[in-house]
Amino acid sequence: MAEATEEGPRAYRRGPRSNWVPLGAAAAAIALLVVAWPLVNALLPGSESVPSGEPVPVGSASGYRATLTFPQEGWYLDTGASQAGLIYRFHRGPVELTLNAVTPVTSPPPTPEELWDGMREIVRAGEASARLGGPEAISTRDGDEGLTGVLESRHQRGAAVVYPSPDGRLAVEMTLAGREATMADLTAVADVVRSVSFVREEA
Amino acid sequence: MNRGPDERPAATDRGSVPSPREARRDESGPRHASERRPGGQHARGQRLPSLVALALIAVLCAAGLAYLALRFTGLVRVFFSEASLSVFLGVVTLAFGFWVLRRIRPVRDPALDASLVAVAWGLTAATAGGVVANAALGAIWNKSLGLPFSEVWGAALSAPLNEEVLKLGGIVLVAVAFPAAVRGPVDGFVIGSLVGLGFEVTENFVYSMNAVVQAGGTGGLVPVVQTHILRVGLAGLGSHWAMSAVAGTAVGLLAAAAWRPGPRRAVGAALLVLLAMGLHWLVDSPLFGSVLGVMIEVAVVFLTTMAVYFTVRHVHRRRVRGALASEGTALGMRRSAAVALANRHGRGRELGRVAAPERPVVERRQEQMLAIAEDRAVRHTP
Repeated sequence: MAEATEEGPRAYRRGPRSNWVPLGAAAAAIALLVVAWPLVNALLPGSESVPSGEPVPVGSASGYRATLTFPQEGWYLDTGASQAGLIYRFHRGPVELTLNAVTPVTSPPPTPEELWDGMREIVRAGEASARLGGPEAISTRDGDEGLTGVLESRHQRGAAVVYPSPDGRLAVEMTLAGREATMADLTAVADVVRSVSFVREEA
Repeated sequence: MNRGPDERPAATDRGSVPSPREARRDESGPRHASERRPGGQHARGQRLPSLVALALIAVLCAAGLAYLALRFTGLVRVFFSEASLSVFLGVVTLAFGFWVLRRIRPVRDPALDASLVAVAWGLTAATAGGVVANAALGAIWNKSLGLPFSEVWGAALSAPLNEEVLKLGGIVLVAVAFPAAVRGPVDGFVIGSLVGLGFEVTENFVYSMNAVVQAGGTGGLVPVVQTHILRVGLAGLGSHWAMSAVAGTAVGLLAAAAWRPGPRRAVGAALLVLLAMGLHWLVDSPLFGSVLGVMIEVAVVFLTTMAVYFTVRHVHRRRVRGALASEGTALGMRRSAAVALANRHGRGRELGRVAAPERPVVERRQEQMLAIAEDRAVRHTP
């Protein structure tokens, strides 16, 4: 809040600057941010290869860390569309695997059935025509139990899976589908949804 | 006893305000007189930029609202109760904030039209732009620095730049669209805070819907309530309204110099914008993760903002008092009665001293005298 009284007369001698100048500067700055960043983002390569057999951390909460280990080669992580600890998007050819790390806030934590119902709603919010079929029991290779069912929408068909962590304070929700994916494509990688692990974190 | 509007009261009349039309004009101070007129009229050369700025604000606000509606329609449709509660809490926050932030402007409230447009910008255009820019810049950090680093530092590297510039752009547009409403640092502070308030309210909605998804759709209304408690109750004092108020003060400094600042003023304005970004960085940085850390961040942001506020408030009030004293002397008013008009309470007290039938006329004269005094105060703003 400088009170630079000597500035006024000088500015007066030069006269006021046209209001077009601040108007143009503001419009340019706004346009730059909403146009330039998406352009730069589009120019950068958006995915990185994920080696098979190596656990990928996909979220943690309440003392548990969740990982996903791909049984096959050829999976890629869409880094631009993912958010660490929240949402991960992978693809292998036409197959897309979307993984959400969920942290319930209620106490006691929700049952697997309640998690499934919540997932049903979230899937429907993302795509109005998407529906989840009735769930069946499934378990990870490590023996953690969850639910799975058919995912159907106007554009794709696949599978949905949810696994709560042993204490229920963390859950991994996945959809395995793809607009261009055939049943053979999906069947070839179906076991990926069983490769989730919950690891107890050291304090 | 009713006087005609031009009839001067005796100097000893308590509470009376003579017609300012008879006041001598102070010829010593005016600067940039060519572009300002008392009463907030547009000066020559301001009308077209003002209209264009207003049109740009309208278009960008409409585009922002449409983008946000498109993006959140699915979530609102499915989680309607959660969205409704979030909107309700947002409206309450907005109403309270709007009242408080307009009230803190010294001397008198800011112009209502400029205030509403400022809030609208923050609610729609700035937030939608922030969603687009943050998503893109966040993806750039993900790709270039890796997901783990981006998880920790992504927000601190994106939001202070994107969001502060988008809000700042809106403050400048409002200043150009309403040149009579943003004439100095005090106006910039208040208009900036209103832009930030609007931004905060929409961001709270976005965060609460994200929290619903993060909870797997299992928490009912709990994630919404938690989000508002954290973001309004705990962190509200040091949030967007405060950072944008600091950045808005810079806009006020530039507007007061007719957008042609000298080096000192330009540096001061730049430092204020950098300060706003720095405060935002502090809030988004992972350095203070605990509740105590958040409270420290909030305290730093709030106290810094208050330091800026009380500085510009002090300077503005001093100048307005000086202008009122000189105006009052010219009109034959007692100095104390003239200076008392510099605040809302004093005007009410002076008004209470005149007979009820005269109050509307005296109130009008108070307003006229204040308008002239604030014009003088602003013209003296270097």
